[in-house]
Amino acid sequence: MHLLNLTLGQFLALFGSMSALMLALYLLDRSRRRQVVSTLRFWISAEQPTVVARRRRIQQPLSLLLQLVSMALLLLAIAQLRLGVPASAPRDHVLILDTSAWMSARAAPPHGRVPARTLMDLARERARAYARAVPRRDRIMLVRADALTTPATAFEPDRQRLMEAIDASEPGATALNLEQALSFARQIQAQSGRRPGEVVFVGTGKLADHEPGKLGLRNLRFLSVPDAIENCGLRSIGVRRSGADSGVWEIYVSVRNYGVAPRTATLALSFGPSPDGPGKSPVGTQRLVLPPGAEREASFAFRTRAAGFLQAQLFPRDAFSADDRAVLQLPPQTLLRVIVYSAQPDLLRPVLAASPQVAATFRPPSQYSADSAGALVILDRFHPPAPPLGDSIWIDPPAAGSPVPVRARVTDVPFVRWLADHPLGAGLRTKDFRLESTSVFEAAPDDLKIGEVESGPVIVARPGKPKLVVLGFHPALSAMRYELSTPLLFANLLRWIAPGIFRRWELNTASVGTVRAPLDNDVRSAGLRVIREDGAGVPFTLRGRALEFFTGTPGTVRVLAEDREYVYSLTLPQLWESKWDVPTDVRRGMPKFPAPLREATDLWQWLAVAGGAGLLAEWLLFGRLRRGRARVSRRPMAMRKAS
Amino acid sequence: MQPAPILDREFLEKLERLTLQWQKSFAGLVGGHNQSRFAGAGQEFLDHRNFHHGDDLRAVNWRAYLRLEKLFLKMFQVEPRVPVRMLLDLSDSMNGGAWQKFHYARRLAGALCYVGMVRLDSIEIHGFSNRLGRRFLCTGGRHRFGPVLDCLGSMEPGGQTDFLAVMREFISSYSQAGLTIVISDFLDDQGCQRALQYLADFGHELVLLQIWSEADRVPPWDGELELEDAETGSQMKVQFDDSARVRYTRAFDEYADSLERLALRAGGRYVGVSTAQAVQDVLFGPLVRARGVA
Repeated sequence: MHLLNLTLGQFLALFGSMSALMLALYLLDRSRRRQVVSTLRFWISAEQPTVVARRRRIQQPLSLLLQLVSMALLLLAIAQLRLGVPASAPRDHVLILDTSAWMSARAAPPHGRVPARTLMDLARERARAYARAVPRRDRIMLVRADALTTPATAFEPDRQRLMEAIDASEPGATALNLEQALSFARQIQAQSGRRPGEVVFVGTGKLADHEPGKLGLRNLRFLSVPDAIENCGLRSIGVRRSGADSGVWEIYVSVRNYGVAPRTATLALSFGPSPDGPGKSPVGTQRLVLPPGAEREASFAFRTRAAGFLQAQLFPRDAFSADDRAVLQLPPQTLLRVIVYSAQPDLLRPVLAASPQVAATFRPPSQYSADSAGALVILDRFHPPAPPLGDSIWIDPPAAGSPVPVRARVTDVPFVRWLADHPLGAGLRTKDFRLESTSVFEAAPDDLKIGEVESGPVIVARPGKPKLVVLGFHPALSAMRYELSTPLLFANLLRWIAPGIFRRWELNTASVGTVRAPLDNDVRSAGLRVIREDGAGVPFTLRGRALEFFTGTPGTVRVLAEDREYVYSLTLPQLWESKWDVPTDVRRGMPKFPAPLREATDLWQWLAVAGGAGLLAEWLLFGRLRRGRARVSRRPMAMRKAS
Repeated sequence: MQPAPILDREFLEKLERLTLQWQKSFAGLVGGHNQSRFAGAGQEFLDHRNFHHGDDLRAVNWRAYLRLEKLFLKMFQVEPRVPVRMLLDLSDSMNGGAWQKFHYARRLAGALCYVGMVRLDSIEIHGFSNRLGRRFLCTGGRHRFGPVLDCLGSMEPGGQTDFLAVMREFISSYSQAGLTIVISDFLDDQGCQRALQYLADFGHELVLLQIWSEADRVPPWDGELELEDAETGSQMKVQFDDSARVRYTRAFDEYADSLERLALRAGGRYVGVSTAQAVQDVLFGPLVRARGVA
C-alpha cells in the first residue's frame, strides 16, 4: 500500500494541519450551541458566568471524529492511496559503463583455451546482470563514460537493445571523468519526467584527475570491477633537435609504474623506416627501477638526418599492453643548398657557414648557370647573362643588369632605417653607420624595403616566385661588416627565402585527452594554429604560455607557431591518476528489486465516496441542518407576514 | 394532499358527554344550560316563597292557596346563556419545537369549542399575539363545528406577545363579562399576571390553560449555549449544566404556580399542560379535576 501523489510525510503534514484547523474551528463554533427558545426569562435565573477554559472541551466528540475521519479519507483519495508495492511504478535508471582506456587491461591471463578476459568483459558482464535484475517495466539508459560522457541509448524499455548496446561498448583511449558522467545522469533523470531510479556506475573507479564533487546523488550504486593489476607504462616521449648539433635528436621518455609493487623494466628505443617493418636499428636501451606509483625519465641522443619511425618499448610486457609501446615519426633534416657566384668568396663564407642548415658552394662567376636545380643563388657584384631560375640574392649588382631598377648611386650616406615590422627586419637595430657607396633602387609597390637611406631603399626584397633580394652595397665591404646586423640580415634573408628548412621541430608522444603544450617565450599567439593530420582545425585555449587542446581519439596533432612546429603523436592511452574514494552512502553490489506482488489497485474513488458520505452524515446528524430546523419552522410565517 | 384534520371524529364523539363549566353567575344572562344561583323565569322548578306585593301573579301556586289560603310564589331556576370566549396565543413563542405547542393549543381549543357547541353554547374565538385577532363566533350546535375547524386550521403563529395590550382591547370590546378561556404559554417578557388580574377585575371568569413543551420546562441541552428569544430575537450566552437546569425548572414552576394562584384567587381555574400529554387525557383528566369541564 502506498501513496502515489504524496509522500507519507506530506500526507501527515497536510492531515495534521487540516486537523488542527478543524479542531480550532470546532472549538470556536461547535462548542457554543445556538438554540432558539420560547423565552429568556427563566434562563436568566439559571445563568452562570461563562468559563473560557470550558471552550477547550469538545462538546460533540462524535461529530469531530466523524469529520476528521472523513477528511482523512478525502485526503487519502487526493493522495491516491494504492494497494500494491510502490516499486511496481516504472522508474528510469541510468547505467554508466566505464569505457576508459584502463578497461582494456587483462583481468586474468589466458588459461588453456580460455581467452584472456579484460576488465571491459567483466564490466559488461556486471552491466548485463544489473539489466536483468531491474524490473521489466523500468527503463534503463546506457551511458559510456571515459573522458567524455556519451549516451549509448535512450531510456530503453527493450532489454535486448540494451544488451546489444552493452556488448558493443569497447574501451576508449581516455581516462574516466566520473564527475561529468554523474552530473549527466542526474540531469537526464531530472529531465525524463518519470520516477527516477538508480544511477549505477559499473567500472573500476580509476579517475582521470580528481574526485567527483558532491553531486547529491542519493540513488547512486557502484558495481565495482576488481582491477588488482600491475602495470608499468610509457607516459610520454619528447623528441627535439639538439641545440648544439642539429643532426642529433634529443629523446626524453617518461615511464610510470601504476602498480603497487616495485618494477624493473627495460626501455628499448629503435629507429627504422617503417613502424613495424624490418630494418630497424637500435637507438638505446636503459634499465629502469620503478618504485610503486613512481615516474622516471630516461633520455637518449640519436644522430640522424633521415626520416623514420622512432619506437619505444617496455619490457617485459604486462597486463595492459597499450602503453608498453609507442611510435613516433621523425621528419628528415634537409639542408639549404646555396651557390655563391663571387670573385671574392671569402667575404661571404663566414656568414653562410654560421648556419648548419646551409650548404654553401662557392663558384666563380664564369661558371654561372641559370639553372641552379633548386638551390639559392647569390650573385656577388655580378651581372649574369640570364637571371637565375630559382630564388636569388643580388649583392651590389651593376646598374645595367639589376633586377630592380637603380634610381641613383650615392656615396657616403648614413643608413636611415630598417623594415622593423617584418620578419626580414627582425633583430636589425643598427643605424649609426654610413655607406661609402650604394645603389638606391626604384622599388615596385609590392617590394619590401628592408633597408633605406635618405634618398631611397638600398635593400629590396621582392616576394613571389621566385623570391628575389637585391642589396645596393656589399655588407662585407661597407661599414656594416663590423655590425651584428650583417649575419642577422643574412639569417633573415635565408629564413624568408626557405622557411621550411629553418623550421624548428619538437615531437612529443602523449596520451589522448587534454594536452597541455608549453610554448616558447618568443612565440606570438596571433599565428598559432592547431590542426589534425587531415588538416582540420582543433579548438584550443591559451593560458599564459601554455596551449591546451583536447582530442578523444588517437592521432597526430600539429601545433604551428611561426617557424616552429610542435607535433603531438597522441598514441598512448590516457591512464588514471587517482582512485575514487567511494562515499559511504553509495550503495554497492547487485540490487534485489522487490518483485511487485500484484498490480496496484486504485482506491481513491471509494475513499472519496466514503469521505463525502461521512461529511454528509455529519452534516445531517450534527451540522447546521439540524440546528436550522427550528428556524426553518419560523420562516414560512415570517414570509407570510411580510406578504 | 389534504392536511390531517385537527380533531378526528372518534375523538369528538368522546367529547359529547362533557360540558363547559363556570362558577360565576353573571347578572342579566338567561338561557343556556348552566344553573344559576338566581331564581328566575326558567323551566326547572326551584322553590316556593311567600308572595310579596308586586310579584308576578302568574307564578302564584294556586293549588297551595286553595289548600292553605296563603299565597305562595313558585320560583324557577334560571339557565343563563353565559358568553364563552376563548383566547388562543399565536405568538412566536408558541412556535418552538416545529409548531408543537401551537398545534397542541389548536387541538385543545377545537376540543373545548366542540364541547361548548354540543351544549349550544356560543363561543367566540380570538387569536392574539401583540393585539387581539379577528373574532370567530362558534354557535349553532355541533353541526356547525366544521367552520370552527377551518378557522383554527387557518391560524398561524407569529408576533410578539403583549398580554396587557390584548386584555385592554378585550375588555374594551366586551362589556359583558363571561367565561374567558386563555390558551397560551404565558411567556411574555413583560409578565402577564397584571393583564390577567386586570381581566378578572372586570368580572371575567378565567380559565388559564398553560401549554408548554418539555424543552420549555426542562431544557435538554448542556454546555455553552447561545440562546435566541423566539419572539424578540434577543440573544444570551449561558453555561448550562445540571445545576443550572434545576434552577431553570424551579423558576419555570414558580412562574406556573404564580399563574395558578392568580387564577384561583380570581375565582378561575388553571391547568398546566405539557405537550407530551395527549389532548384527550388532558380533557378528561386535569381539566375535569379543575372543573373546567364536567
